[in-house]
Amino acid sequence: MGQPSCTPNDIKPLPVALPLNEEGLAFYEKKYQRDYNQWTEILQRNVERMSRGSLSLEWMNTDGSAWGKRAKPSSRGLTYSDVNKLPTSGEMPATATWMNFTPRGSIRDRYREEMPVIDDYTVVSRDELWAGNVVTLYEEAVARQWSATRDIPWGELEALPEDLEKASCQLFTFLTEVEFVAGDFPAKWLYRIPQDFLEVKSFLATQLMDEARHQEVFRKRALAGGGLLHASPGFEWALKAILDAPTHTMGTFLLNLLGEGLILSIFRSGEMIAKTHVDKEIFRRTLQDEARHVSYGVLELKNYLDTHPDRAKALEEMHRFADVGEQIILTAFTEATVIEPVAILLGGGLDKIEHGLEGMLKVWSMFIEEYLQRCERAGFDRRARCKIPVDAPW
Amino acid sequence: MSTMETLGNKAAPESPAAALLFPSVGWFEALAGLMNDDRETHEHLGFIDCVAQFTVLDGAADGGPVAYQITFEEIQATDVREVKPEDAGRESFALEATKATWREMIENISAGGGRPDLEHTLNALSHIGTPIALTGSDPLERDCYFRFNQSLQQFVNASAQLPTVFDGD
Ligand SMILES: [Fe+2]
Ligand SMILES: [Fe+2]
Repeated sequence: MGQPSCTPNDIKPLPVALPLNEEGLAFYEKKYQRDYNQWTEILQRNVERMSRGSLSLEWMNTDGSAWGKRAKPSSRGLTYSDVNKLPTSGEMPATATWMNFTPRGSIRDRYREEMPVIDDYTVVSRDELWAGNVVTLYEEAVARQWSATRDIPWGELEALPEDLEKASCQLFTFLTEVEFVAGDFPAKWLYRIPQDFLEVKSFLATQLMDEARHQEVFRKRALAGGGLLHASPGFEWALKAILDAPTHTMGTFLLNLLGEGLILSIFRSGEMIAKTHVDKEIFRRTLQDEARHVSYGVLELKNYLDTHPDRAKALEEMHRFADVGEQIILTAFTEATVIEPVAILLGGGLDKIEHGLEGMLKVWSMFIEEYLQRCERAGFDRRARCKIPVDAPW
Repeated sequence: MSTMETLGNKAAPESPAAALLFPSVGWFEALAGLMNDDRETHEHLGFIDCVAQFTVLDGAADGGPVAYQITFEEIQATDVREVKPEDAGRESFALEATKATWREMIENISAGGGRPDLEHTLNALSHIGTPIALTGSDPLERDCYFRFNQSLQQFVNASAQLPTVFDGD
């Protein structure tokens, strides 16, 4: 008799029953069967018409619209800029009033009364979202997507000496930990933005995709190099502060302009100190994506300040927010789990960490200067108030 | 100055006799031609829209600076010119280095068959401001260097296909 294919130890416990969703389902039924009765009226009307054998064809009536103008592609294809030239594309409103999924530019006024209202659409002001470069950045993002599976020469990855491998894997663990807040933050706001701001929603969707890919590529690299190493509470508080930002503009400042500006700097350092061509390729690809996110952050803040009816008050609010945000971000970037691995990679080994720390002083000062310049470009002068020291705290 | 019509599909010189001098507008034109020939690679990398300036700090006959601006649009290099006073400020960003630094980078790319070693990528050479300095008055425009970095690296990597001679050889 051969070995039994299964022993009692192999038997797994029965799965725990999934929680029942009674309460939520009952609420949903009540809403859609009793409270929201407009859809039933629409259903009834349609069934009656169809049972009479009658057609509507109302959707062919183009009265009051500019129907008939055709969008023409430019040399790079048919871009949002090309189609937005048409009156049929509809104008982006300063304040959104369509709290449903109707496309901007569609014939929709006559249906307004029958439309549902999406309660989650709360960011109704264009100037909490808009940036002059958002359409360009969206088209650029779509054209410059890449694949973490296919475009990185994974086959060339070679084992490094233990100190450099651990430093690399710790750096990639840190990056894996921070990447997805840059996805969760736009996701948190994305569903609150009405459809009339479709270009902004679309750009934020590319940022989500970029961050998914960054998290993917760093996770894969750590796992290909030995494994993920240590998580860090200091990053976690910075990430939470970003996610908890009270407004879209404040959070975009903290994430895109400051946080991702800093991450862009780390990617550039990562490319410079990479010990393999695999790592260089990873950092070059990711830094391109990150720079788009930073660019959106700069012009979003600029537009917010330029269009605010009380600029002085808006500036003071942003300063108060930045006073807190900068200190929390500083906490993250003093964690040993990011400073020490970068110093080891920069120095060339654990025995040269002091040399690496020295080299990082220059990168730190350069980053702060770049941050302050980006703030200035947005019309937000932080030089006198910046809570992050110009010189590194070591 | 060359525009896309003259740059398009310009093949690299075939014999050592046709080696191009670095720095020269002809050298950058040939590089632009190589990019425009390699549509597939650049289409895969995506649109690149910026004016990149390569400055050779000691490249002029008198030992002063000489600079070249390459205009990138969509997936092509559409204009190459040696910078005249009236061109100042057209660039999104400038990469400034001595002739020796540029030479080392170009020779390193060539030795690697079109891929520099770990120390000679554009970013590795420019990140801390030396030996290549990244400059630009508008931080948003300067960030184009990062937004299109892989395409720019690919652009200079193609120099491995150009037989190059250097000033003073
Ligand atoms: Fe990212
Ligand atoms: Fe990002």
